[in-house]
Amino acid sequence: MDGGKFFGAFRASSGITDAVVLNHVPVGCNWGAAIFKTTSNQFDMRHACTVMHEREIVFGGEDALREALIRADELYDTPILLVIAGDAPSIIGDDVGAVVNSVTLDAEVMWMEAAGFKGSMRDGYEEALTHLAGLMNESDMIENSVNLIGFSPDDFKVDADVKEIKRLLRDAGVEVNSVISKCSLEQFKKAPAAELNVVLGQGSKLAEHMKIEFGVPYLEMEYPYGLEGTTQLTSAISEELGTGHEPEFDIEPFKKVYLYLHELYGTPVSIIGDFHAEAMANFLNWELGFNVEVSARNVDDYFEFEEGVRNSNTTILFGSSFEQNIARTLDIPLIRFCYPVFDNVCVYDDAPYAGFRGAVCLTEAIINTVMSYG
Amino acid sequence: MRKFCVYGKGGIGKSTIVSNIAAALAENGETIMVMGCDPKSDMTRNLVGKRLPTVLDLFRTEGPDRMKLDDVVFKGFNGVHCIEAGGPEPGVGCAGRGVITAVDMLDRIGVFDDIKPDTVIYDVLGDVVCGGFAMPLRQGLADDVYIVTTCDPMAIYAANNICKCIKRFADRGAVTLGGIIYNGRSVVDEPSIIDGFAARLGTKVLGRVPMSILIPRAELHRKTVIEYVPDSEIADTFRYLATAICENEDRVMPDPLSDDELDGINEEIEVLLREREETGSNLTGDV
Ligand SMILES: Nc1ncnc2c1ncn2[C@@H]1O[C@H](COP(=O)(O)OP(=O)(O)OP(=O)(O)O)[C@@H](O)[C@H]1O
Ligand SMILES: [Mg+2]
Repeated sequence: MDGGKFFGAFRASSGITDAVVLNHVPVGCNWGAAIFKTTSNQFDMRHACTVMHEREIVFGGEDALREALIRADELYDTPILLVIAGDAPSIIGDDVGAVVNSVTLDAEVMWMEAAGFKGSMRDGYEEALTHLAGLMNESDMIENSVNLIGFSPDDFKVDADVKEIKRLLRDAGVEVNSVISKCSLEQFKKAPAAELNVVLGQGSKLAEHMKIEFGVPYLEMEYPYGLEGTTQLTSAISEELGTGHEPEFDIEPFKKVYLYLHELYGTPVSIIGDFHAEAMANFLNWELGFNVEVSARNVDDYFEFEEGVRNSNTTILFGSSFEQNIARTLDIPLIRFCYPVFDNVCVYDDAPYAGFRGAVCLTEAIINTVMSYG
Repeated sequence: MRKFCVYGKGGIGKSTIVSNIAAALAENGETIMVMGCDPKSDMTRNLVGKRLPTVLDLFRTEGPDRMKLDDVVFKGFNGVHCIEAGGPEPGVGCAGRGVITAVDMLDRIGVFDDIKPDTVIYDVLGDVVCGGFAMPLRQGLADDVYIVTTCDPMAIYAANNICKCIKRFADRGAVTLGGIIYNGRSVVDEPSIIDGFAARLGTKVLGRVPMSILIPRAELHRKTVIEYVPDSEIADTFRYLATAICENEDRVMPDPLSDDELDGINEEIEVLLREREETGSNLTGDV
């Protein structure tokens, strides 16, 4: 299930951690975007909405938007308001740009058009980031530094994963300049200071844009799940930057559960998700030796995915909270690893799924799920 | 309850015809209700003598819950109950959604149950530009449709499009075509062409409204001709038309013409036009 362009733009924008996102949409879209974000961080309420109702649809939403802009500017102490115009204003043709230009506010305002029906969540993410790149400043290059591109603030395990990747890179002599999109406006603006952009799964349009605009080269990598995925990431970055670092990892924790892992060899599993799914499937397949029966992306036909899983021997499902139903129907466990996760929290930022530590945590989670199920 | 709607190209005479037949029907002591489904909201002007506050005006200022029947239904000439749906300012919002909202609102405040009209007439914006303006074509709102056309290619083309729209809703067991109303205010006033067009659609012409200077004159006084010149021939024309529609029992699912067939009609009109220009005869017929 794909959230459409609006969700992608919302996720990219709310990744500017001190920005306030003003959604110009009916209440339902706003609620959906908000709830997926606040599950694991209930203080993060940096978003407002014009709450378009029937009246705004019939008479146009421009007045409501103007009022919301003024109020948001009063209520929030923020350097920037990011207005995202979703489906409804796009259908009825609200002139969002004109409204934005008609008000003078304390906060900087940037707006973007992101009608859900005009593209996938991925498209929305890519376009929003490229649009936001207009905020970036030419900066002096910081040697051996990288930007990590592809994150959203509501990704499951995002804090822990970023922390782990930063740790690994620091060990390799590489500093992380900006995490996109999960950084302050200041950090976002100085992204061009990085020596290299590392695209983890999505955000390649921004990387391409930054290459042309600021001359920052980029590397496209898979999301670093497992020992292999992690090693590939750190090696590629070291090589690109010429830091000459050899990654080392600790397989001690895996030895402790070797017998379980041995038993689980060949377990049939299925997986669905955004770009994370591809990397996860590789980890499950190559490192744990599972049999990946059905591997699907969000944009694929969901019905087909369900049919595929039903007609397979799948005993563990990997996905998002949306897969609850099918997991329940088939009476198999679901391991949530991918957006949106709204029925689990992840608040501990030292239990990642990415990186070496992530490989341990994931393995632990999988074994425990299997042992306690049924 | 008899319910029908009047469609037709923009500026073709829909509002004139609806307001006049409403006034005519009301002469017989029946309870008549008219609803203008056009953001211009000008149909009831000739019945009430002024522009009315619209359903959507109220929806906008008061919200849906505080709306009362008396705020949106006004009695006009001969006691005709007049309603204007209203809509957004030109260039903003979604007028089609407005029609849907207005109809919903009227339903909510129970207009039909309260007034119990014998006849309800809808006057709908010129071209059926989107789903909202097809709202009166759905079952329950109207029984049948009457299309106004002059003898102009573009008006005929629009009428044909409306027939396509009626047909689209056909499988939902909805509204049918009641007939064509011919307005003689045409480039060439040739009723036989419209008779032929109607026949091909599978229907007939229910009435002919000649070009008449009394219509704009009455309009200047914000009146229907029924009120302004009750004893005139043109007033009688509207009376006949009103009766013809109310008594009409022939309803059909129209068979819209192909582009080639429409081109054929276009040529007929062109030939006539050239002939009349050559003979210098009155193009639009006698006033
Ligand atoms: N038979 C006629 N003789 C003289 N004038 C006419 C005749 N029919 C219509 N008119 C004039 O044409 C103008 C347009 O008519 P009217 O407003 O009824 O059209 P309409 O189809 O309701 O237009 P719209 O689509 O804009 O609502 C009016 O000023 C009206 O007085
Ligand atoms: Mg009109």
